Parts: sequence; structure tokens; C-alpha cells
Amino acid sequence: MTDPFVCLEYSTMNDAPVAELLAGAADGDQAAWNALVEKYSRLVWYVVRGFRLDDAAAADVTQTVWLKLVEHCGRIRDPERLAGWLAVTTRNEALRVLKQQDKQTPSDFAFEISDPTATDMDERLVDDEIERAALRAFSRLSEDDQRLLRLLCVDPPLDYATISEIIGRPVGSLGPTRQRALERLRKFMTAELGEDPGGLV
Amino acid sequence: MSTYDDDRLLELLSSALSQADPVPEYVTEAARQSFTWRTIDAELAELVYDSAGQEMVGVRGAEATRQVTFRAPGIEIEVMVMSDGVRRLVGQLVPPQQATVELRCGGSVRDSATDRLGRFTFTDVGTGPAQITVETADGAKVVTDWVLV
Repeated sequence: MTDPFVCLEYSTMNDAPVAELLAGAADGDQAAWNALVEKYSRLVWYVVRGFRLDDAAAADVTQTVWLKLVEHCGRIRDPERLAGWLAVTTRNEALRVLKQQDKQTPSDFAFEISDPTATDMDERLVDDEIERAALRAFSRLSEDDQRLLRLLCVDPPLDYATISEIIGRPVGSLGPTRQRALERLRKFMTAELGEDPGGLV
Repeated sequence: MSTYDDDRLLELLSSALSQADPVPEYVTEAARQSFTWRTIDAELAELVYDSAGQEMVGVRGAEATRQVTFRAPGIEIEVMVMSDGVRRLVGQLVPPQQATVELRCGGSVRDSATDRLGRFTFTDVGTGPAQITVETADGAKVVTDWVLV
């Protein structure tokens, strides 16, 4: 993408409505497609990171999701639901991979599988001390808590119906579950920051 | 310092995560490149069964064969991905018919054809997203959903 004309077109397309981008992509417009990728790549990545996949598997799942969208972009009836479609498709693909890995990994070796939730973040990239503490606290949370909080951090945001579908819990329980997960995060952060919690509690 | 309520705490975490776990550039680039695999003028055969689908609770064990079925109006493509020894993909068109078959997997494209009974095989299949394109004798083109094999 070094062609300046393409880049220009691409930057103006980022603000276009999703319906327009989907229609453009369905029509073969690479710039519209790139704008969709730009807008939603974080969302797909956050969802895939909520599952215990190594980098290669996470990349494969991500690419499968985008390839599926290539085929489906002219068929998505409600463009406003694209975020939900991407998130749920990502979840389904991630679960398939996990199930395949379950089958192919003798249980004796299960302990050798690394825990990517503990290693996939590079704290050194974060300048702010409080944010670094937030990351350390986050890595101490359970997998369920981490997955929920990641889904709540997704941009553009996911609605509760989609989050509930992904984590398999009723919509009504999300509010209280969110509150408890954040409470645990706050507690660990306070511990990370020592005696002065900086008004965290 | 002001108190961090739930929303602010989530904002803080969101900012930290986006810095510490950015989307790798090669992942975003692969997403952009996906568009070059776009198929025009083909009927989409949707995934209707996958033995690795989470809704199909199977017996956990050393099951080395995965079964996948795609369906488009008038045709079904049944595929088995076998991982015992040489990794291969064995397919069957329903109803049985002769057709040319193309497999896209791991960035490469391979051509084959069915036998008279609608069966086809690809050996030494790599891992990654895969898609099958079938062109029937009457010229109809069907493309399957992508599936990660």
C-alpha cells in the first residue's frame, strides 16, 4: 500500500458508514476492504486473545475470520451487526482450534502447553506506571475474568448480547459479573501499587 | 488522584492492553491480503456440519479425522481431513457427479478433478485456512466457506 492515491482514498474511507464499506468490499473495492480491516482488526484480535491460543494459532484464526468475511461481505443483512458477527465468528473458530488441539495433544503433555494469557503482553511497551500495574493485575485474573474484560475493552464496543453469546452467560448476569471482575482487578492493582493505591479503592 | 470508578478503570485497562498487546502488523497485513482471495460469480456453500464445531460434543480422544460438510442449493460437499500419517483431504460431492475441484490452502492453489462417483483427494495438505471451489460439468461454480484445517 505505498501508492499515495490508494492511501488517500483509504484514509477518507475510514469514516464511511459500515454499510457503505461492506457494499464497496462486496463490489471488489480493496480500499473499502482495507477500511473495514482498519476499523475491526483490534476487535477480532481482542476476542481471539481471550482464548488460550499461541501466536500462530491466533493468527490463523484471525485470517480465517477475515477470509470468511470476504465471502460474506455481500451477504450480511444488518451492517450494524458486523461487530457481533466478527466477534462470534472469531469465538467459533477459536473454539474449533482448541477442540482440535485437545484431540491431538496427549494429556500427558498437557502441562507443556504454555499459558499465552501470561506471556502475550509486553509491559515494556507501556509508559504509564499505573497502566503497567493494571496489566500485572490483569494477568493475575482468572481466564474468565480476562476474557470478559477484554471483550469490554473492544473498540468499536460490543453489545451485551454479543458478549453474552461469546462467553456463554445470560445477558442479565453481565453487569454484576463485570463489577466483580473489576473489583478483583482493582484489588490486585492496589497490591501492585503498594501502600498508596492512588485512590483506586 | 481521583477515584477510579468502574468505567475509568476499564478505560485504563483498555489503554494499557492496546499498548501492550497491539495487533501484529503481519496479522493486519494478512487481513488486507485476504481480499485477493475474493471469488466472483460463485454460489457459496455454507458450512453446515463440522465435527470440530463446539456444538458437537464428541468423544475426546485420538480421533484423527475431522468431518466437514458444506451445502449450497443443489449440492453438498463432504470433506474429511485425515491426519494419520500423510495429511490428506478426501471429499465427496452429493449428488455424485464429475467436476473440477480447486483447493486453496496455506497460500497455494491446487487443482484436481473428481472421479465418476464424485470423489476427490488432495494429499500433503498443509495447515491454515482452506477453501474448496467446485466447478460442475454444467459450468456452475460453487465455493465453500473458509475453514481452518
